[in-house]
Amino acid sequence: MSEFVQVAKVSDVTSAGKLILEVEDRMVVLLHINEQFFCIDDVCTHDGGPLGEGELCGYELACPRHGAKFDVRNGAALTMPATEATVVHEVKIEGEHLFVRINED
Amino acid sequence: MMETTTSLSFTKDGFEAFTASRDEPRWLTDLRHAAWKKYAELSWPARNDEEWIRTDIRQFKLDRYSLSLEPPKPETTATALLREGVELGGDCTSLDSLKIHSFVADRWAEKGVIFGGFDDVVRSHGDVIQPYLLRRAVNPNYDKFAALHAAFMTGGAILYVPRGVVVDEPFYALSALTDGGADFGHTLVILEDGAEATMLSETASEDTVGGGLHCGAIELILNPRAHLRYVNLQNWGSNVWHFAHQKAVVDRDASLQWTIAAMGAKLAKVNQHVSMIGEGANCQVNGVMFTEDKQHLSYHTLQHHQAPSCRSDFLYKAGLQDKSRTVWRGMIKVDPIAQRTDGYQRNDNLLLSTNARADSIPGLEIEADDVRCTHGSTSGRVDDELVFYARCRGYTRKEAIQMIVTGFFQKVFDRITIDSVRDALGMAIARRVREYE
Repeated sequence: MSEFVQVAKVSDVTSAGKLILEVEDRMVVLLHINEQFFCIDDVCTHDGGPLGEGELCGYELACPRHGAKFDVRNGAALTMPATEATVVHEVKIEGEHLFVRINED
Repeated sequence: MMETTTSLSFTKDGFEAFTASRDEPRWLTDLRHAAWKKYAELSWPARNDEEWIRTDIRQFKLDRYSLSLEPPKPETTATALLREGVELGGDCTSLDSLKIHSFVADRWAEKGVIFGGFDDVVRSHGDVIQPYLLRRAVNPNYDKFAALHAAFMTGGAILYVPRGVVVDEPFYALSALTDGGADFGHTLVILEDGAEATMLSETASEDTVGGGLHCGAIELILNPRAHLRYVNLQNWGSNVWHFAHQKAVVDRDASLQWTIAAMGAKLAKVNQHVSMIGEGANCQVNGVMFTEDKQHLSYHTLQHHQAPSCRSDFLYKAGLQDKSRTVWRGMIKVDPIAQRTDGYQRNDNLLLSTNARADSIPGLEIEADDVRCTHGSTSGRVDDELVFYARCRGYTRKEAIQMIVTGFFQKVFDRITIDSVRDALGMAIARRVREYE
């Protein structure tokens, strides 16, 4: 299992905001919702679209290409045309810093 | 103390130093300057460009790479697959775009055949090369990678066969990379009227998991009644970025058999075009792809019928394992003048794991009304019944899958008329097949 990697400061991600990052050879989206942080692959499982450029509504992130929606808490695909979950990565906060552990599965 | 520059970055200063370091004909320097200007004007591909929509290059950082200026090593340790047991008419090897050695057999040189490293031939035979280089086939203004290649092209090989000369021994070119190196090789093959030749071209890394950058181009020019068999094997290390523009122009009653094998690279984005510009031109393309780990291979093919009564036949087969991905986007384009066209394209994908993904997008764009154009695509997993059948006869699961994979590729191997190429590809793929439950 990979280690936690420091990726940003808490203040870098505004509330209800998101940040696209490159962590260990992967593009991921870091999201800040209701004082919680989440991290998922920046990849729509339908056709590889950039989720980080999509619209965030509650815990749902919509792919800007075809509108597939994903639950950022567990990566689940909520609407067509996506049918498979996107990968979720673990996030932890230490002081002012945010750390992400890449899920290699 | 003065510092010695040992490499050139892909910046304005790097470009100026690159052109200043080269003793080249004026026309080539001008071509490079025009390309650099275009490169500076063009943007990197956008995520929503149709060609790039499935290929994410955000992690590609050009500033991590540079062209080596150090004297080349005398040999490369990269493993060559295609030349084993083949009697060659000529041989050319480069490492990080720097020529290591080249030779052409006297019997062919005496007949006017020109073969050698790109940098040598553009200097020694510029008058022959100038009308063709980036003028008849590959468009240096197509995108930012094409322009970057045109500005910095170095390494690779050039083959010129004069009118009516039939060469019955293959020419061979190997472009090798050190870990982290850059290759800007350009391959140019020109066959004059009625000429015939075979060329085997191969790319490989010294380190099989090594990184690096290839930004290259292949141009194949077949004048009327010429016949060319061209093989190119992409076998870079698994962390190499590979960007290539490859185009053939086939004139009246000429024929091209082009075999493409792609097995290496972290990410490959290739545009492969064939234009049939003279009546009766014939082209057959055999594509073999095998991917593993997180490799991403993206091939965009165009078979462009620009004259009547031409035939094109593209068959691409891909085997995918682990979390690898292929994108194949093929187009048959038929101009209004190209009546009696016979065009065919097919892409088959064999998925060896549940996490692999193959995107296959065949297309037709037909503006003539007397044509036969067909296309097809299949994607599927290994048939469990076939595995069961083989295991009942004493084979292990891995042996069974190796046989099924070999069988899957057999149709395209059968079309390859050069035994050594067929054997090398079959062995290379069989060695890579892993065991899956």
